[in-house]
Amino acid sequence: MKTNFENMNWRLALLGDHALVFSLEEKMSEEIIEKIMALKKSIEILHFDFIKELIPSYHTLTLVYDINLFYQNNITVKNNQSVVEFGNDMLTAFNSAATNSTIKNAAEKIKANNNLIENNSFTDREKIIQIPVCYDERLGIDLENIVSRNKISIEEIIKIHTEETYLVYCLGFLPGFAYMGKVNAAIQIARHASPRKEVQAGSVGIAGMQTGIYPMNSPGGWQIIGRTPIKIFDKAPAILGKLSAGNRIQFYPIDFAEFEKLNEYK
Amino acid sequence: MAIQIIKKGIADTIQDIGRYGYQHLGIQANGYLDYQSARLANYILGNSVNAPVFEIHFPASSFCFTRNYTICISGANFVPLLNEKSIAINTAIEVKQNDILQFLKPLEGRVAYIAIQGKIKEEAWLNSHSYFANSIQKDAQFEWEVSSEISNQFLKNSELLSSEIINEMHSPIFSSGPIQFIPGPAWNDLTEASQKLFLSTEYHIGMQANRMGYPLKGALLQLNKPNQYLSAAVTRGTLQLLPNGELMVLMADHQTIGGYANLGQIILVDLPRLAQASNQTSIHFMETTIDTAHKLYQQIEKKFIHRS
Repeated sequence: MKTNFENMNWRLALLGDHALVFSLEEKMSEEIIEKIMALKKSIEILHFDFIKELIPSYHTLTLVYDINLFYQNNITVKNNQSVVEFGNDMLTAFNSAATNSTIKNAAEKIKANNNLIENNSFTDREKIIQIPVCYDERLGIDLENIVSRNKISIEEIIKIHTEETYLVYCLGFLPGFAYMGKVNAAIQIARHASPRKEVQAGSVGIAGMQTGIYPMNSPGGWQIIGRTPIKIFDKAPAILGKLSAGNRIQFYPIDFAEFEKLNEYK
Repeated sequence: MAIQIIKKGIADTIQDIGRYGYQHLGIQANGYLDYQSARLANYILGNSVNAPVFEIHFPASSFCFTRNYTICISGANFVPLLNEKSIAINTAIEVKQNDILQFLKPLEGRVAYIAIQGKIKEEAWLNSHSYFANSIQKDAQFEWEVSSEISNQFLKNSELLSSEIINEMHSPIFSSGPIQFIPGPAWNDLTEASQKLFLSTEYHIGMQANRMGYPLKGALLQLNKPNQYLSAAVTRGTLQLLPNGELMVLMADHQTIGGYANLGQIILVDLPRLAQASNQTSIHFMETTIDTAHKLYQQIEKKFIHRS
């Protein structure tokens, strides 16, 4: 039985007995995450009941499935498909190369969906989420590290960090923790050699070419340059998915008084 | 309230089959460490098999019941005592008001489950009752609601479930034999010598094992490239190679993504056995195929299918 496929430039592989992983070239790139998000949306519109999760991250999309439901599904049973063959059909349908009747239906649905959103980027280029950050040294407790190592002033760090638009490449580490990039080389700094015991919720940090916000108090090694007063994650459903892969975000500076006024973590 | 914690355990929680559908937001799935034992306890009581149960680690919590319930303890044998008298595991037990349930010592296994007949009276978060990060504290109170539907199912299941059948479902979880895995994305990045070592030597679970992961003690492994990957999703059962050459098996509370070498995934059927293994158990790994994994999984699932 075939357990790996190459389809266009996609690679499909097993991730154990209840997940599949679709991957592209291993690098952090806007073009690649756009394709990953596009494949995610295409599979989502087909509403397969055995799919439990579609987890995007940089160059991969991981599909977690329920083994029993997979073998009870009308389409997969009728076609006597293995899980990997199913995955490969998804890629073929996605790549719109579908001629084979078993996947024609899927391909047509995906195509219709793609036409609908043809002019819209999968990563919501139009919509930029604005997030206030207070870069006061009382909150940006590692600013001094960047100042001394990168020979740059705090004002310049703020200017550079806020003028860039960042793309969310994935979420993980903590619920709601978004890995965003890419940070301008002038303010890049390696994470702490040993992590802090507790980083405060809302802290905005840098680790190499990535920037991120701690959604809750947690141990962590990122260099902290400021804090947002805005809750980016909460158990309440409305705040749950405030940030997701493919979002574009931009930070804007606020002063300490404004931070205290807006602080949602109190 | 109807069940009260009178002594706090080391890491006890409420768990169900898990919180799926939110990992793209970084929200972990959580859920039972040993889904086979937890589901067996529910099955014996006529509950929905994936329902929430107490997951108990040793030293365990002590419980006081403030009303009558039927309960079932499965998984590890921590010598359960009801009012200081030993009670059986994998058996429906009636408890009365003011009865006290305690656990004496860890005789076999690592994780025990207490199922309560009925439905938990508590709001789910994102369709699951599974705890994450926190554990059950002293004086916490819980309530289950009894229903005639479940009592009827209990009677039906009792007829089906002879002690032989129950033993057939319980004893494989505590048996020896290789732990099967399917090679993952970084398997071929291991040096040939390391692949051989992994497949031929024995490993033991390290002291720091918890719901997030079980560290493995044994031969250190090496990659033929730097151990640095772009983070990608991992699953329960993922065999992660840490930078120091040690292995970590990701368990129920694992983070959603990881950037260390992903050597492979332990198959679902063998995870409960690993979850219950003691630090002294010798663990051998064996490569398997997805066909075998799915066949074995479906065989176990069929045992629960009598349930309407």
